[in-house]
Amino acid sequence: MSSIAIEGARRSFASVLAVRDITLKIEDGEFFTLLGPSGCGKTTLLRLIAGFAELEAGRISFGDTRIDRLPPHRRNIGMVFQNYAIFPNLTVAGNVAYGLKARHVARADVSRRVEEALALVRLIGLGERWPHQLSGGQLQRVAIARALVIRPEVLLLDEPLSNLDARLRVDMRGEIRHLQQRLGITTVYVTHDQEEALAVSQRIAVMEAGRIEQLGSPEDVYRQPASLFVARFMGTTNVLAGIVAARDGERMHVRIATTTISLPALHDARDGDRLHLCVRPEALRIVRNGEGTKDGEIALTATMANCEFIGPLIRLDLALSDGSPLKLAMLDRPLPPAAAGDRITVAFPLDRLSIFPQAAT
Amino acid sequence: MRPLYLAPLARLPVAIGAIAFLFLGVFLVYPLWCVLSASVLTADGSAFTLQNYARVLSRTYYRASIFNSLTIGAVASLTTTLIALPLAFGIARLEIRGKLVLIGLAALPLILPSFVGAYALLLLFGRSGLVTQTLNAWGIPIGSIYGTPGIVLVYTMTLYPYVLLPTVAGLKAVDRSVEEAAESLGSTPARTFRTVTLPLVAPSVLSGALLVLIETLENFGVPAVLAEDKTILAVEAYKLFIGETATNPGAAAVLGSLLIALTALILLIQRRYVAGRSFATGARSIPPPIRLTAPWHTLATLYCWGVVLLALVPFFAILTLSFLEFRGPVLHRAFSLGNYAELWSTARGPLANTLILASLAAGLAALIGVPVGWVLARTRSSLTSVLDVLSTLPFAIAGTVLAIGLVIAFNSGGLVLTGGWLIIIIAYTVRKLPFTVRASSAIVHQIDPSLEEASVSLGVSPLVTFLRLTVPLMLGGIVSGLVLTWVTLASELSSTVVLYSGPWRTLTVVMFQAVEGTGAGVAVAAASVLIGIALIPVVIAYRLLRANELSML
Repeated sequence: MSSIAIEGARRSFASVLAVRDITLKIEDGEFFTLLGPSGCGKTTLLRLIAGFAELEAGRISFGDTRIDRLPPHRRNIGMVFQNYAIFPNLTVAGNVAYGLKARHVARADVSRRVEEALALVRLIGLGERWPHQLSGGQLQRVAIARALVIRPEVLLLDEPLSNLDARLRVDMRGEIRHLQQRLGITTVYVTHDQEEALAVSQRIAVMEAGRIEQLGSPEDVYRQPASLFVARFMGTTNVLAGIVAARDGERMHVRIATTTISLPALHDARDGDRLHLCVRPEALRIVRNGEGTKDGEIALTATMANCEFIGPLIRLDLALSDGSPLKLAMLDRPLPPAAAGDRITVAFPLDRLSIFPQAAT
Repeated sequence: MRPLYLAPLARLPVAIGAIAFLFLGVFLVYPLWCVLSASVLTADGSAFTLQNYARVLSRTYYRASIFNSLTIGAVASLTTTLIALPLAFGIARLEIRGKLVLIGLAALPLILPSFVGAYALLLLFGRSGLVTQTLNAWGIPIGSIYGTPGIVLVYTMTLYPYVLLPTVAGLKAVDRSVEEAAESLGSTPARTFRTVTLPLVAPSVLSGALLVLIETLENFGVPAVLAEDKTILAVEAYKLFIGETATNPGAAAVLGSLLIALTALILLIQRRYVAGRSFATGARSIPPPIRLTAPWHTLATLYCWGVVLLALVPFFAILTLSFLEFRGPVLHRAFSLGNYAELWSTARGPLANTLILASLAAGLAALIGVPVGWVLARTRSSLTSVLDVLSTLPFAIAGTVLAIGLVIAFNSGGLVLTGGWLIIIIAYTVRKLPFTVRASSAIVHQIDPSLEEASVSLGVSPLVTFLRLTVPLMLGGIVSGLVLTWVTLASELSSTVVLYSGPWRTLTVVMFQAVEGTGAGVAVAAASVLIGIALIPVVIAYRLLRANELSML
């Protein structure tokens, strides 16, 4: 096991820069996730670590050892592929033993370690089965056992759950996380599913266009997005348009629709600047009649447009006075007594608001 | 400047590519270059001249050979298409009884030697042919099959699968919902076929027809047997080069160069403008078989089985005739094994040669073709596209021309190969490389690349991964490819006839010489053995073979 140090990694395909000078340190034993939409460079970065793509510039080290000039078969990695990549011409045990045989492990040890690895992924007794006899979830476990049995320095997972159905996906991600914690193996996990990333990772790098947009704990990237892109990509968010009406030292007055609110000033904010203000639907609450707002809360008035009841959640579509939409979500609450067209007041804590200057386009 | 650095994963493809370029450079490009330069050099090779072209093209005789080759090719492309199109529709869309057997039989002409078919036609309908004489005895006149009619007929019977197989595949790839959409908009089934289905398969049909055209241009055996005084490019080049009276390499090179230019141009058109333009609609719902009323259905069944069986009649005829007694060229209606006895006593050596040369060359073609197919399927660069073109090129080079090039190239100098067995193996390997490469790259395309990456990630080097994982996964395809190259090489005539020397005669040469001379009995027996050599392995390995693969043979 070892840490992974990536310094100034760059890779392009044709004229597209897939990975733009990324520097990153993944700690020993860490569960680290590369998250982003398709084409953001996350898989390329993983393949650079694995050695299936070549660096154009920069270096990659496992611990103190530089590995980016080593061919992939000498990097001692365990890799799990999106489509499992189980060898169809070998049994389950044959698949798991494949890497051990490449390392010339003694025959007796091979069968013992294969058994242990299959036990680890709860596939005891299936060693003699052929891949075509297994379900998708079982194949994924074989793939994990095959990657772990060689005791790799790092475990690389490339969208390992995207071919499974929704329920199995949730079970498997818990299992992968549990296994990783037990073994303490440095793990790099690639996914485009933000919920999956939040659920399993210790740290997440949100990527876009070959760059890391934000690096942080799941809670950080969800609650304190560093950019509008991250705010939008990490689940549903309201993006409200605001204009700085007046700057007043450390405070600024921002007009949203017809309401003006007072916020801590962005350091370079000036009068007339346009802002994006992001707030998550679940941060909003309905202020019932006679209730006031609490300290540090911001209130907005809006019109009910639509109310959607989906079991645990109630989702409201609201409209601000200028017509811009506002989403609100409530967990396990009674239906609001308002009908479409009614005016209601909503409030949210100031610390749940993320403010980004609108790019001058 | 950065030192030259080869990425670890690029090393194996680069090594394979280097070997392939070396092989094709020395044994394909260089010989072709020799043909081209011989055509534009003076006899002593000292100066550039267009004299050869002027001399050849000024003679009506040779101008006619170009015209004849192209006319026969064009007519044969048309007739094969006309025959194969309804057949393809029947196989793809109608419920024809015994369809699987029908498809198998329809693919057979691709592996059976076409000049055997031509010879059968000669024996049946030739001047002293069996049918001709019978009909004459009854006072029914029969037209001559020598020249264009006979050659076109043989091409039609032996080359129609080139149009049939891609068209069937094309028809099966048409998504039924596209036709349903047309019908829902008020189109009649007939109009739908004409305006939707047919345009969708047109590229497949056209591509097949162009392959037929190439095959006819480069074919040597059929016109050699049937042309008589009709001049044909591939045959004239051979005659000028081997020349009974005076050899004329310069003039042979002119005809060879013209032939290369024609076939390469057609292959280019086929690859660039037709083959890539398939409108595969990715059939999600395979069209259900169309039900016809009883009389139409009978008619369709009769047509499909009729065409397929008729095309095989010449080969049945040869097999039957081989058991009759020949005295010189004259046939007697009595059962006899005499032909085989005579063949056995005179041609044991050539039979062994055929088996040895075909086996070695098929092995060599697989040894080079399989790795090259893997490289073409797995890597993309400007060099691999050059390799792709180069490894497809032999398909468009007439065997006689390639052989002439090899003789010019390796007759003297550092590497002398003429007169030996190695030059025949090299010619065979080069000729079959397009098929081996295409077949194996098609298999590799079906193997998920992440399997190989998984193996490498587990610590197995790319080379060992290729040998231990990829090759076993390709094995079925490799074996079927080997069988097909082997059987087609066993009946290779066009380059053998230029390259063979005394001890290295093959069975095809024996048959060719017997046809030219008066040994009809030996010719028929040799032809039958060639049919057997082609059929037996294919029947044994039938389960491994996929009919679609055949069209690159």
